[in-house]
Amino acid sequence: MKATIERATLLKSLSHVQSVVERRNTIPILSNVLIEASADGALRFMATDLDLQIVETMSAYSVETPGSITVSAHTLFEIARKLPDGSQVMLDAADGKMLVRAGRSRFTLPTLPRDDFPVIAEGELPTSFELAAAELVQIIDKTRFAISTEETRYYLNGIFLHVADDDRPVLKAAATDGHRLARVTLDRPDGAEGMPDVIVPRKCIGELRKLLDERGDAKVQIDLSASKIRFTLGSAILTSKLIDGTFPDYSRVIPTANDKLLKIDPKAFAQGVDRVATIATEKTRAVKMALENNKITLSVTSPENGTAAEEVEGEYSSDGFEIGFNARYLLDILGELDGDVIELHLADSSAPTLIRENDKASALYVLMPMRV
Amino acid sequence: MGAGAPIANCLQRLYLLRHMADPPDPQARKIIHIDMDAFYASVEQRDNPALRGLPVAVGGSSRRGVVAAASYEARTFGVRSAMPSVTALRRCPDLVFVKPRFDVYQQVSRQIREIFAQHTDLIEPLSLDEAYLDVSSNRQAIASATQIAQLIRADIRRVTGLTASAGVSYNKFIAKLASDQNKPDGLCVIRPEQGAAFVAALPVKRFHGVGPRTADKMASFGIVTGADLAEKSEQWLLTHFGSWGSYLHGAARGIDNRPVRADRIRKSIGGERTYGEDIWAESALRDALESIADIVWERVERNEAQGRTVTLKARYADFQTITRARSLGQPVKGRSAFGQIGQSLIDQILPLQNGIRLLGLTLSGLSHSEDEDEADIRQPELPFG
Repeated sequence: MKATIERATLLKSLSHVQSVVERRNTIPILSNVLIEASADGALRFMATDLDLQIVETMSAYSVETPGSITVSAHTLFEIARKLPDGSQVMLDAADGKMLVRAGRSRFTLPTLPRDDFPVIAEGELPTSFELAAAELVQIIDKTRFAISTEETRYYLNGIFLHVADDDRPVLKAAATDGHRLARVTLDRPDGAEGMPDVIVPRKCIGELRKLLDERGDAKVQIDLSASKIRFTLGSAILTSKLIDGTFPDYSRVIPTANDKLLKIDPKAFAQGVDRVATIATEKTRAVKMALENNKITLSVTSPENGTAAEEVEGEYSSDGFEIGFNARYLLDILGELDGDVIELHLADSSAPTLIRENDKASALYVLMPMRV
Repeated sequence: MGAGAPIANCLQRLYLLRHMADPPDPQARKIIHIDMDAFYASVEQRDNPALRGLPVAVGGSSRRGVVAAASYEARTFGVRSAMPSVTALRRCPDLVFVKPRFDVYQQVSRQIREIFAQHTDLIEPLSLDEAYLDVSSNRQAIASATQIAQLIRADIRRVTGLTASAGVSYNKFIAKLASDQNKPDGLCVIRPEQGAAFVAALPVKRFHGVGPRTADKMASFGIVTGADLAEKSEQWLLTHFGSWGSYLHGAARGIDNRPVRADRIRKSIGGERTYGEDIWAESALRDALESIADIVWERVERNEAQGRTVTLKARYADFQTITRARSLGQPVKGRSAFGQIGQSLIDQILPLQNGIRLLGLTLSGLSHSEDEDEADIRQPELPFG
């Protein structure tokens, strides 16, 4: 294989590809990127961690000899990163080595044969639909912070996607770590009807989100089965295994009869929470909120760090009471809410609280209070 | 009535004191001791079906390794926790060694502590898999502590897929003994009126704090059971067992007034061993220290603790006891660093002027994950059901 490529093109593609590659691998070939050069002048990069696979296609400046080879993804990426801008990079693989040449620099990298490179068998992906990149960004940004990192609860380590017929056909995305739940509801795109419930793993979500930054307003093609999902974003194709597990019936934790309503400016609220949380211990981050007639008092008492209190304006006319929340959880949610006024639907100090902009908003959050 | 009544009363009281040292008390506390069954090993068998039914030891199989936990299958071969892996393999050649996954045990531990927290705030965790609960008054106002224990055991099984044994009684000492009574997956209730009799029948070596050496010492005085111990006066026990005598005196009568302390923060983790023959040789001393370091470090990992001070304790043949300590600017990083510091402290007591009969190693200055534990208990789960 021998091909020449612009350094900028090489760097951009490798930056996508190398982040799929795990830093530490017990299987050597998983550290490598598969490079395929075809006679029509296309260059294809592929990387995998066996659960997630990315394929990126770009135009080479020239392909002298079609062929394929695998080399260390991180090493090649580092080389591309350090080469001077505007340079042309020649990749020349022969006799178990690949020569990388640009300007006066020359590198010789060890290779592994192409045939050993594992490719995820996609199988049939019967459900196909499109989402605008902006819609996918919305789904991810408004839910991903709630994804669980507890490996024992692997079925919570991703975003749950499912369709439903509420008052209209919808596509819903939900994530939870057991303490908070985030859900976004969108109109069901054409082609998504009858799709199986799927849990998209966190790593796939992370890589997808990076690729979306470069997509602007374009559409993203999504194809899936019960076990695999594929996102096509122009020249990049991300394929992931889905989490083989059952997402809990999260509708059970969305309160429907919380009768105490607080309306509040999310920015002022967040700033107040952030300020009093300065005193909270790093680990618990508990903030107490006392509600009475249009007066919201945030407070933190820490045996080591002292006390803090702040009054925040809000619209509240139900019976007064106190409730505690993890400040970090609250700030995560407030940071993702749009609008000048948001609603907190409360029941009592130990019941799940519903947070949203209003009943028309696409995003909805449920937060379990803390004992304070 | 005449003059006989006070004497009769007095005799009756003496009788009561003699035979019912701990009369039933309507104000008695309700204490539950919960202990997960073969915790680490059961978690491994839960997560890896191929291990089920096999003798499993969690720990390192290397020459220096120690068994951190043994499955019930392994226990039938005599494999016990804190046993050197080499010994364990000799007793059970088919023993399967599994590397511990403390992060998983920690997570399961959080799950069970959340279950406890549904009933009471008075939780005193002893380790990841064991805790005392005072349910004298409890959140759901359930009158029967036995019922609470059953609810907790059922919840633990439902949430974690693991079994726990529970002891229900009126103090910590007996609750802990009771939880051991019907293991695994068992429940044992010792009522206040049964306490003294239960303890009387018990071999003293099952008393908390009575190790093989103390048991031998007690046997030399003819003390084998709780009843034997109860015959000794408090003064006699104080003379022979030091300040511990008071506790023993009460314990022998089923009395233990130690409260369940939810705020208990461990200040140190350590271990010590008394040797049958005094140690004189430097190499034997260093080997002895390494094996203590193994056991202590396993406890440190089990508690996810971090500490900066290592203390060596040595007792000479003439009972003179000395300690040597070293503190670092940051927590001790691992088992090998812990051992190295221990060995450097040994350097300070060499050359030996006298034989060593006891050696101990302690890690203190702990900066625990207590905060995290507290955060987890204070932050309940959404009710997914």
